[in-house]
Amino acid sequence: MTFLHWAIISPFLLAILIPFFYRYIPKIHTGWFVFILPLALFGYFMQQMLQTTSQGGVVEASAPWVPSLQIFYTVYLDGLSILFALLITGIGALVVLYSIYYLDKKKEALNNFYVYLLMFMGAMLGVIISDNMIVLYVFWELTSLSSALLISYWFQRDKSIYGAQKSMLITVFGGFAMLGGFAILYSITGTFSIQETIASADLVMASNLFIPAMILVLLGAFTKSAQFPFHIWLPDAMEAPTPVSAYLHSATMVKAGLYLVARFTPVFAGVPEWFWIVSGVGLFTLFWGSLSAVRQKDLKGILAFSTISQLGLIMSLLGVGSASLYFNDGVENALYHAAIMTAIFHLINHATFKGSLFMAIGIIDHETGTRDINRLGGLMTIMPVTFTITLIGAASMAGIPPFNGFISKEMFFTGMLEAMEISAWNMQTFGILFPVIAWVASIFTFLYCLILFFKTFTGKFKPENFDKHVHEAPIGMLISPIILVVLVIVFGLFPNLLAYSLIEPAMQSILPGVMTGGERFYVDIYLWHGFELELFMTMGVIALGTLLFIYMKKWSSLAIYKKESDILNPLYDGSLSALVTGSQKITRAQITGRLRDYLAYMSIFIVLLLAYTMFRYDAFSMPTENISPIPGYMWVLVLLFILTTVVVPFINDRMAVIIIVGALGFLVAIFFVAFRAPDLALTQFLIETVVVVLFLLAFKHLPNLKKERTKPRIQVTNAIISVGVGVMVTLIGLSSYAFRQENGLESISQYFIDNSYELAAGENMVNVILVDFRGLDTILEVLVLAIAALGVITLIKLRMTGREDV
Amino acid sequence: MNNIVILPIVIPFLTGALLVLFPKYVMIQRLLSVLSFLAVMGTAVHLLQQVGGEGIQILNLGGWEAPFGIVLVADTFSLLLVITSCIVALGCLIYSFQSIEWERERFYYYAFIQFLITGVNGSFLTGDIFNLFVFFEVMLLASYVLLSLGGLKKQLRAGIMYVLINIVSSMLFIVAVAYLYAVTGTLNMAHLSVRVAEAGQPDLLTAIALLFLVIFAVKSALLFFYWLPESYSAPPTAISALFAGLLTKVGVYAIFRMFTLIFYHEPGITHSVIAWMAGLTMILGSIGAVAYGNIQKVLAYNIVIAIGFIVIGIAVFQEAALTGAIYYLIHDMVVKTLLFLLGGAMVGLVGTYQLKEMSGMIRNHPYLGWMFFIASFALVGVPPLSGFFGKLLVLQGTLETQFYVLGVIGLLSSLAVLYSTMKIFMNGFWGENQLSKEDEKTSTHGLLLPCTLLICVSLFLGIGVEWVNPYVAAAASDLMNPAVYIEAVLGPA
Amino acid sequence: MEILMSITVGVLFMVATYLMLSRSIFRIVMGLVIISHGAHLLILTMGGLQNGMPPLLGQEAANYTDPLPQALILTAIVISFGLTAFVLVLAYRTYDAHKTDDLDQLRGTSDE
Repeated sequence: MTFLHWAIISPFLLAILIPFFYRYIPKIHTGWFVFILPLALFGYFMQQMLQTTSQGGVVEASAPWVPSLQIFYTVYLDGLSILFALLITGIGALVVLYSIYYLDKKKEALNNFYVYLLMFMGAMLGVIISDNMIVLYVFWELTSLSSALLISYWFQRDKSIYGAQKSMLITVFGGFAMLGGFAILYSITGTFSIQETIASADLVMASNLFIPAMILVLLGAFTKSAQFPFHIWLPDAMEAPTPVSAYLHSATMVKAGLYLVARFTPVFAGVPEWFWIVSGVGLFTLFWGSLSAVRQKDLKGILAFSTISQLGLIMSLLGVGSASLYFNDGVENALYHAAIMTAIFHLINHATFKGSLFMAIGIIDHETGTRDINRLGGLMTIMPVTFTITLIGAASMAGIPPFNGFISKEMFFTGMLEAMEISAWNMQTFGILFPVIAWVASIFTFLYCLILFFKTFTGKFKPENFDKHVHEAPIGMLISPIILVVLVIVFGLFPNLLAYSLIEPAMQSILPGVMTGGERFYVDIYLWHGFELELFMTMGVIALGTLLFIYMKKWSSLAIYKKESDILNPLYDGSLSALVTGSQKITRAQITGRLRDYLAYMSIFIVLLLAYTMFRYDAFSMPTENISPIPGYMWVLVLLFILTTVVVPFINDRMAVIIIVGALGFLVAIFFVAFRAPDLALTQFLIETVVVVLFLLAFKHLPNLKKERTKPRIQVTNAIISVGVGVMVTLIGLSSYAFRQENGLESISQYFIDNSYELAAGENMVNVILVDFRGLDTILEVLVLAIAALGVITLIKLRMTGREDV
Repeated sequence: MNNIVILPIVIPFLTGALLVLFPKYVMIQRLLSVLSFLAVMGTAVHLLQQVGGEGIQILNLGGWEAPFGIVLVADTFSLLLVITSCIVALGCLIYSFQSIEWERERFYYYAFIQFLITGVNGSFLTGDIFNLFVFFEVMLLASYVLLSLGGLKKQLRAGIMYVLINIVSSMLFIVAVAYLYAVTGTLNMAHLSVRVAEAGQPDLLTAIALLFLVIFAVKSALLFFYWLPESYSAPPTAISALFAGLLTKVGVYAIFRMFTLIFYHEPGITHSVIAWMAGLTMILGSIGAVAYGNIQKVLAYNIVIAIGFIVIGIAVFQEAALTGAIYYLIHDMVVKTLLFLLGGAMVGLVGTYQLKEMSGMIRNHPYLGWMFFIASFALVGVPPLSGFFGKLLVLQGTLETQFYVLGVIGLLSSLAVLYSTMKIFMNGFWGENQLSKEDEKTSTHGLLLPCTLLICVSLFLGIGVEWVNPYVAAAASDLMNPAVYIEAVLGPA
Repeated sequence: MEILMSITVGVLFMVATYLMLSRSIFRIVMGLVIISHGAHLLILTMGGLQNGMPPLLGQEAANYTDPLPQALILTAIVISFGLTAFVLVLAYRTYDAHKTDDLDQLRGTSDE
């Protein structure tokens, strides 16, 4: 286990210690103990990046876990994973610092919080650094779990529980789908290693399970990254404390789906299905998210839908960029590389501006006690630092120069315009949709950024709306968002800092083999592209967005604006409750509580199954050989017996029934005599006598027999079932007997006949079998009798009167 | 010939008999019970090592060679099950010390448990089909008594139904054995395998095989599970947990044994029927688990789902799936028992079975809550907990044999398990705490220890999978190769 | 003779099944007694009802009836007897506690 292996496990180890820090050192906010770890890990990963991955190198190591099932704890640190690792640890450190000031150390159960947070951090690192699909799955589910635990952190609230359940159901469902996809891949390639699967990509593509595997893996990605229609869990996840929202639900966990898509691009991409599904879902999510964000009144709600939308943006770029695996050579190719490049760049940018915005909103929430835009306003002068942070963050998100968001937005437009030019996959007809949807969505994006910013900070300040005395946040809370915002500016002015250190190595991981022989992708990002179509698109966005904002009063009375909740939510809630009600109905229909019904099901099933088998394969036969003859008196006996039996159901007097059934038993004993079984006859006489005595003893306590009060329809069904059972028993019996006579398999009892006297010193063969050859059966039957006897004693003597209804 | 093979049967038998003699001395009863199970576990582990080194261990009772006498056969599969049963029984036993009322304890409670285990172990170890019937009856009768021990109204009511359904299937067992004897002339399982193979399993034998299938299906709650939710909610927690972990699994063992050793010649028919039953069971079980708001019913339906899933292994009749099924079987025995014990503790505290009336228990009982949480996720099959590897292997098996539908149903049923167990957890432990310490009906004192033991076993099965793998893989491969069994029992061909 | 006995056994099963599908516990128990007779007779029939001598070596005959089914039946009789006794007492106690013999009225309350 190398240092890298331990690095991933270290958060879990620290998590074990946290409760002790919380319990025994309450003076210091537990967060400080936590803070050291992500900071240290960030340093470690920075070092790895500068030394190895930015040069195109890779760190790889493997440790066995379950070798017999091909599950190895393999770590693989390349350009793509280092990018995520830096995000996870860097933003993690900032979030922990922020949380120290956000969560009051006296009021909150800090130990739980940091344990879950550390669990998440370790799990997330595990997801992005694992090369083994099963280990990735392990960590993937751990992120779902820890996320659900963090969402329900304030578990007394119903909404928190609801949000946690929703996120768990949706993401774990996606996890199962992903597991299915991995299992399919394994069945094709024989390995769980991602790198080896990439190497065998041709094998995968040729298999007829290719599409199912692809769809299943994509399901995992889409659920985790809140793509339409699985996005509904993210807004409800905003119940979590804001540091959690900033960390998981904007910068890291939701990006795991993007990671999955990126990582598996070399395996699945290059086919039209991948292109259309990934870009299509991404674009639609982009549009849907931005439209929904406009409708939100809760600041965190705006940010939630905004995240959904931005994730869709990155997803669509990954989709478009996959075209470069299709067009392997040529000039066209370079254009699609750019799409991948933009995706990565925007991933980083989004983390910076969204993280800062979430923190800023958290500050506002913390200081004013509300997130409702209708109550907020005029905070510009009271919270100047927060104002500046939000200004920069929102401007970047809206795509205003000179921030990093502007650059990536421009590149995004470029990518969509280029997509139009793809000469395959029906793009000639539908290609125009790409830039159009992108443009419309950007208008809405711009709009909600304006709403977010202006509604909070401009306008009149109404102190009566707030419960607290409103003032600027303490410096400790401001440091983290300030750092992020500084990055927004820096990446905007000097984007090429990232070019060959982070972006290019990541591109190599996503598009391996495209650049041959150590060549590198050409990455050059700059602010001013000239008066291209993209610039005009941006100007259009700004113009229309501003217009919409100015006339906001006009359309804010529209019904569609008033409602906040996503249209799909009722669908989710409805289907869930329909599922439960439907289940109840089905269960009640078949679990009637009546023994008769259960026995009927069983009998019908047996009769039908056996009849079908026997008839279908013509297995009935009648024995003709070796049948013993029927002496006259046997006819009489049998007739008497059958008559006695058939009479029983019709008798309504219990005494009579007992006598008749007893008589039946004695007749059986006579049969035993007739069939040369003296021991059996003796036993039967004895036992039948005891049984009759038992019944008579209990006679006093037994109820009066009434005539059957069941409906005639049921009685007829019962009769039919009974006849069926009787007939089947007879027929199969006959066939079985016939079979052996025809095939002449010698029974093992010949051994008993031969050896009873010589080896076992007994002349009564049956007794010898009972006592010697098959003695175990006899001991056990005695045990059965003993248990029955004890049971009877217990039933009669032990009559507890406990809590009857529980 | 190895005399140790009979110990897992004889030890509990004798202990039980001994315990009957002085039922009022509870402390000695408890001590002897625990010692008995520990001894059985010890012998089973020893046997397991012997099997690993020397092959399947057999014991010809009375010295009469197979197929004329009764033979006890200890192969890896049986031994793994014997060991797991002991672990489960120990857990329930220790739990009973605290939870079973003294009246029951003094009425031969511990003796009946010993007899139950006698029947269970015997069923696992016997190599003769009529003997299997007798051991089943021992087990079942002990369970009848335990179910109704105490004579509470609901116990009697549930008892009647449980007993009657099982007696019917037991009678059918006799019928099926009669047919089988008529056709083949022998009762020894290995010998049956040889003779059925010689006859080529014609369709008459297939019909008889299906009859056996239905009989064991009723006993193991495969498709015919109606009796289970109602019966398992009647007795005290320790007993229902014991049933949940053990009884149905013996039926599953019988199905596995029958359809790998004897009736494996027409998988197109027999194993397809099993596949249908497995799929339907999982679906109906999931529906049941989702429907109820009563903690015992939810857990009972989870048993049904698990049975359906385990049986997939035999339905697709392939080694990877079979390995996964055995893993899952062992894991399910431990975790199901654990969940029942924990659920029972919850009910004991709150005094109600209805989830709607519980809330916020995690405030005062964090340990109980987190154990339930972990156990639930082990059941769902989230790695690195114990259910995952079984699930993965079964899934792989369905892929390789192209039973895709079964694989999908299996995954979807895991979602149902997740939903239903989370329902219990969220309702019971999260939310506002409505129950103050004074209102609690009983305490959890002494109940958490056995739960901890079981959870450690589950964690070991998950994280330490590599340790367990050689045994499980060996068990599966032996099942797929009846010749190994036959040779051990009847001697080389 | 085997054919006749098989038919007899079929009748036994038919009547027993009808009784067991009844609503009255008492009738069900009667059905159980009858079905056990049926099962025992079936074993005997399946072993062959040869006209050989009873399986007592002192008889020194040419061929004997098959002893193995007889041993099995003995065990089965004893086990069925144990079960019958227990079920009878259980039925009596249930009647005693619930004051009714009717299974429909004894249906468990369906908890939701």
